Amino acid sequence: MNQTIVSYLAQYEFFDFLIKIFGENSLLLTTLIFAIAAGVFVAVAATIGGLGTYAERKISADIQMRLGPNRVGPYGLLQFLADGVKMITKEDVMPNSADKFLFYLAPMLCLVGVFATLAVLPISSGFTLVDLNVGVFYLIAISSLVGLGVFLGGYASNSKWSMLGGMRGASQIISYEIPVTLSVLAITLTAGSMSFGNIVSQQEGFITNWFIFHNPFSFLAFFIYFVGAMAETNRAPFDLPEAESELVSGYHTEYTGMRFGFFALAEYIEVFVVSGVAAALFLGGYNLPVHVSIDILPIQFIQVTILVGKALALYYVIIWVRWTFPRLRVDHLMSICWKYLTPIAIFNLIGSAIWMVAFRGQSIVQILGH
Amino acid sequence: MFLNLLFIASAILTILGAVLVLTTKNIMHSCVFLLTSLIGIAGLYATLGADFVAVTQVMVYVGGVVILMLFAVMLTGGKDFVSKAQNLLGLAPTMGNAFTYVMASFVGVVFILTNIQLIKRLGEFSKLKNNGSFVSTVNELGMLLVKDHILAFEISSVLLLGALVGAAIIARPRKQ
Amino acid sequence: MISLASYLIISIILFVIGLMVMIARKNIVAILLGIELILNAAALNFVAYSKFVTNNLDGHIFALFIIVVAAAEAAVGLAIVIRFFQLKETIHIDEATQLRN
Repeated sequence: MNQTIVSYLAQYEFFDFLIKIFGENSLLLTTLIFAIAAGVFVAVAATIGGLGTYAERKISADIQMRLGPNRVGPYGLLQFLADGVKMITKEDVMPNSADKFLFYLAPMLCLVGVFATLAVLPISSGFTLVDLNVGVFYLIAISSLVGLGVFLGGYASNSKWSMLGGMRGASQIISYEIPVTLSVLAITLTAGSMSFGNIVSQQEGFITNWFIFHNPFSFLAFFIYFVGAMAETNRAPFDLPEAESELVSGYHTEYTGMRFGFFALAEYIEVFVVSGVAAALFLGGYNLPVHVSIDILPIQFIQVTILVGKALALYYVIIWVRWTFPRLRVDHLMSICWKYLTPIAIFNLIGSAIWMVAFRGQSIVQILGH
Repeated sequence: MFLNLLFIASAILTILGAVLVLTTKNIMHSCVFLLTSLIGIAGLYATLGADFVAVTQVMVYVGGVVILMLFAVMLTGGKDFVSKAQNLLGLAPTMGNAFTYVMASFVGVVFILTNIQLIKRLGEFSKLKNNGSFVSTVNELGMLLVKDHILAFEISSVLLLGALVGAAIIARPRKQ
Repeated sequence: MISLASYLIISIILFVIGLMVMIARKNIVAILLGIELILNAAALNFVAYSKFVTNNLDGHIFALFIIVVAAAEAAVGLAIVIRFFQLKETIHIDEATQLRN
């Protein structure tokens, strides 16, 4: 029922060779392929997260008419590696009165929550690790581990700033989960499926087939999703949990070295993941504008390039927003979520349902075309 | 084979988490161990082919209930945050009088007898009816929810609304 | 390995542990943790029976409703706990004696 990377690779000839070595239906072979693929995914995602910090600094410098990092490597490209080395070699300090177990656990929870979402991220029709038939739902569910990590990190540090940051983080993340889930639900309704592969394959073809242009409600849903996702990943203008001017740096005030690095890495990878999901759900995903056979291996790499390109474009927008808008106040943040985004998202969901019934699931372009 | 591995891992996670919930003295740690136990149960649902239920379990418990409990612990922290008399053996003699123990042993006997009756018939069900193949349950569950079980669905929506309003009213700080 | 018996054994262990948590702990939040374990043991049983015995999805529906009820119960229960703490400055279960006599 679930298309995986193994079942995709099984159609090629070199797979027969592997089967000869490992034997038919070998658990070892499947595990090995999954392990290698997952390792590649995590490595690429970590690199993208690391480059995200570089991009953030470079783009902010561009916006503020500075130069940004330009010493390490060409154009300062290796800056993130230098930062990583610095973080690993730093002393790992823990406050005396901290809750040891939770202090160690919190960054791991953040990282696990983000890496687990990579399992269903549809980067191409064949290379998706597993195309679960509850993929969208799984992604939303497992990414809430990040909120738990933020909250526990804030609690375990036993510091007032961390505590406030953690509480803000948890309340913000679980509040904004509601409009995000409702707007994703509108797309699920439009596609009639919760599997990423199915949703993306329905947007095949030209730009008019993208779900963002399917009907007015899905157009609105994209913006609700985008705003909510920005808040869920604690990005400015919603970065209240780590607001420098009030809380030093919020829930990771007391973290040093690589533990802080895990929090930062988790945040940057999560931004990439939500951008990728937005691209897959609303912006056509990995589809090429022309119809091609997906069985050819180079096509898969082109699809990966298309999805990652779309995701990085959204990533740019998120960074751009961060360095353009001022930070919100806490009560404004909550009233935006509960008084504006959630009612709009509910209206949107009902509107999508009515549209699907009234126009038999046709998109607005199809209706105008007649 | 893979299912067996998943089953063993989930079962260990579930039971270990539950035992640690019982034995840990710090209530905050108890909440985290409850989380591992609940994720283990989600894994068990996955081994049963109940994909939608498994993901719902993760969604509701990880994203909602456990964070809510941690919030409640923090808001009510105060002085008995780490309880001292949590040791079960040390606590047992103080847990009620003779009548309590008589009732408890009676309940225990009934419990064990019921389970023996149950386990006797287990052999009939040891084989899977649909030879273990998994199908997507999402579509069928959706149809069941709006056809056969529509009344329960509506009642649960009313229940959730009532819980939402009730919780908000109860927890709201009152003006003196 | 994967048979109805193993699921029932896990479920019974969970149930007993939940009951013990409910009895042994004096913290109201901890008692709510015990209730969660018990509800989950019941839900696990429903799904296991629906896979091995009835072979339809009614058990899944029941598990979903148990999850819904557990979430509602946790929300209301914790609201009561917070209110109780505001009144009594403790969440020890033995302090809840207002209705005695």
